[in-house]
Amino acid sequence: MDIQRLKPHFPWITLLVLVTIVGIADPSFLKPANLLSLAGDIVPLFIMALGLTFAIYIGGIDLSAQSMANMITVVASVCLAPLGIWVAALCILAGFTLGTLSGYLTTRMYVPSFISTLAVGGICFSVAQWLSGNRALNMDATQRNETFGWMIGRTGIVPHELFIAIGLLAICLLIERRTVLGRALKAVGAGELAAAASGLNVARYKILAFAISGGLAAVAGLLFSVKLSGGAPTIANGFLLPAIVAVLVGGTPLTGGVGGVLNTAIGTLIVAVIRASMLYFGIAATQQQMVFGLVLIAAIALTIDRSKLRTVK
Amino acid sequence: MPRILTRENAIRWAPFMVLLALIVLFTAINPSFLSQRNFARIAIAAAPALMVAVGVTFIIVMGSIDLSMEGVVSLTAVLFCFLMLALGGTLASGGWIAIPVILVVGAAIGLVNGFIHVKLKIPSFMASLALGFVGTGAAILLTGGDIVKFNDPTFRALLTWRILGFPLMVYVAGLCLVLAWFIQAQTRLGRYFYAVGGGEELAHASGVRVQHVRMAGFSLAGFFYAIAAILQVAKLGQAESVTGSNFMFMSITSVVVGGVALWGGIGGVWNTLVGVLIVAVINNGMVVIGLPDFLQAAVLGLLVIIAVILSTDRRAVAFVK
Repeated sequence: MDIQRLKPHFPWITLLVLVTIVGIADPSFLKPANLLSLAGDIVPLFIMALGLTFAIYIGGIDLSAQSMANMITVVASVCLAPLGIWVAALCILAGFTLGTLSGYLTTRMYVPSFISTLAVGGICFSVAQWLSGNRALNMDATQRNETFGWMIGRTGIVPHELFIAIGLLAICLLIERRTVLGRALKAVGAGELAAAASGLNVARYKILAFAISGGLAAVAGLLFSVKLSGGAPTIANGFLLPAIVAVLVGGTPLTGGVGGVLNTAIGTLIVAVIRASMLYFGIAATQQQMVFGLVLIAAIALTIDRSKLRTVK
Repeated sequence: MPRILTRENAIRWAPFMVLLALIVLFTAINPSFLSQRNFARIAIAAAPALMVAVGVTFIIVMGSIDLSMEGVVSLTAVLFCFLMLALGGTLASGGWIAIPVILVVGAAIGLVNGFIHVKLKIPSFMASLALGFVGTGAAILLTGGDIVKFNDPTFRALLTWRILGFPLMVYVAGLCLVLAWFIQAQTRLGRYFYAVGGGEELAHASGVRVQHVRMAGFSLAGFFYAIAAILQVAKLGQAESVTGSNFMFMSITSVVVGGVALWGGIGGVWNTLVGVLIVAVINNGMVVIGLPDFLQAAVLGLLVIIAVILSTDRRAVAFVK
């Protein structure tokens, strides 16, 4: 059996194995209600990872996603009262614009994406501190329930977040598989120079990828603030690491070009199961960051396409 | 007679000119900026940051990047405090042993970082970012989220004992800077950093053991992060899992603003010194002239972008990721 042919199937096999292990150790884990609420809880992280997928798919990275989500929780908390439902549009627009800025800096100004997104993240942090006055903010509960209550309710045992996640996943899948943009991103990820040589406007598509990443990070922040009914400049810290892990263990390598949003869905579920199993096996929450850091190193080492890297810098 | 106003000279001296201009600007707005007391304040803020930035300078000169400093500084700071307390809690009672031990620990963490990067062939920014997360995680694990106090007066003399108005830690940082300069300019390893940064394949072809040089570079960086951790503990009198926060963004900004090219091979520790001072002067000056401190992250962000844009020769790069 050829290992290279098996490789694309690793993510869902991993997921299945993990679920089985945890299920054997704790049969109540496998109850549909438990699985669904587990999946519902991970949705903000999933949305952020979904956006990151686009940045990583083209061989870049978006380190601003976490700061973006932080800023959006503040923006959402501050602007809910005056804007009502339109706050969602404002948030997505802000995320999209700042993502465009990252993309512009990366493609037109030749600032490597990890620096440009780090810098844009700095701008987000400043905005968040300024808007919040460095305090934790609360949303008005009744207004939140009127405007965004539909986001976080339940129908039967199915959390509503899951519908949002599936909807966004479907849109992203459509973009990836059925649009010119999707094909162009595939071309850029597979070989940027070749894509440029065949007449593709590479810069435009790369900017769009970063913009989508920013926009989805904003949606993640919005959903997170609705769930918590508030916002703060550091409230979403701790999202970035598991989000990157989700993308990479899903099978989209750091070098880009293969994988995609469906992989990220599986990757996020793996992260969710790892988290749940850590709780079950008595690994304290304080150790999770360490575990995810190690998982990240392992995931990159296993997925990265070394033929694309002549010298590893 | 060689021309003075060449592009090379302009690029070389630009960061220094920016630093002077900033000092003049802040002094013009608020004369109390230009006081010995304020300069001491800037120096205290800059001393640990300088050590982190000097560490990462070696990496950037090689054309790689290290994003692990927050985790490494936090972890070594926490370990340092624990070790000090275990050894009696004072420098005099044998606690001084903790200093060399922590420096070795820092170098060892850096070596692991380099090993993951070189042997597993993972791009350095991701390998180090992941290891940084592990470091912060380990610090959280060790402290359980608490603050570890460490208040030995002999050790805190680094902050409290002043010579010519500047605390001892500023001189310690200065000495370490000279050490870094010595490694950069006077040792074979230092030359190899530039060889690797200038062109890895060429360096390899001329017999440089690139993998070893890379690992040595990361190890050296870890050593300097550990010095930063010790100075930071001296400054704050405590360590916790967030002791290293902000160092990543600040140090990379400093190095790049000082004129070390992200592409490798250009610049050195003196550039880093100027860069760290620029960042420290901006942070301090913004407070002195009464600007709100929430602006700092955004200003640093703009600064690093401008510096990268200005230092990039756009004809020389095909595309960036």
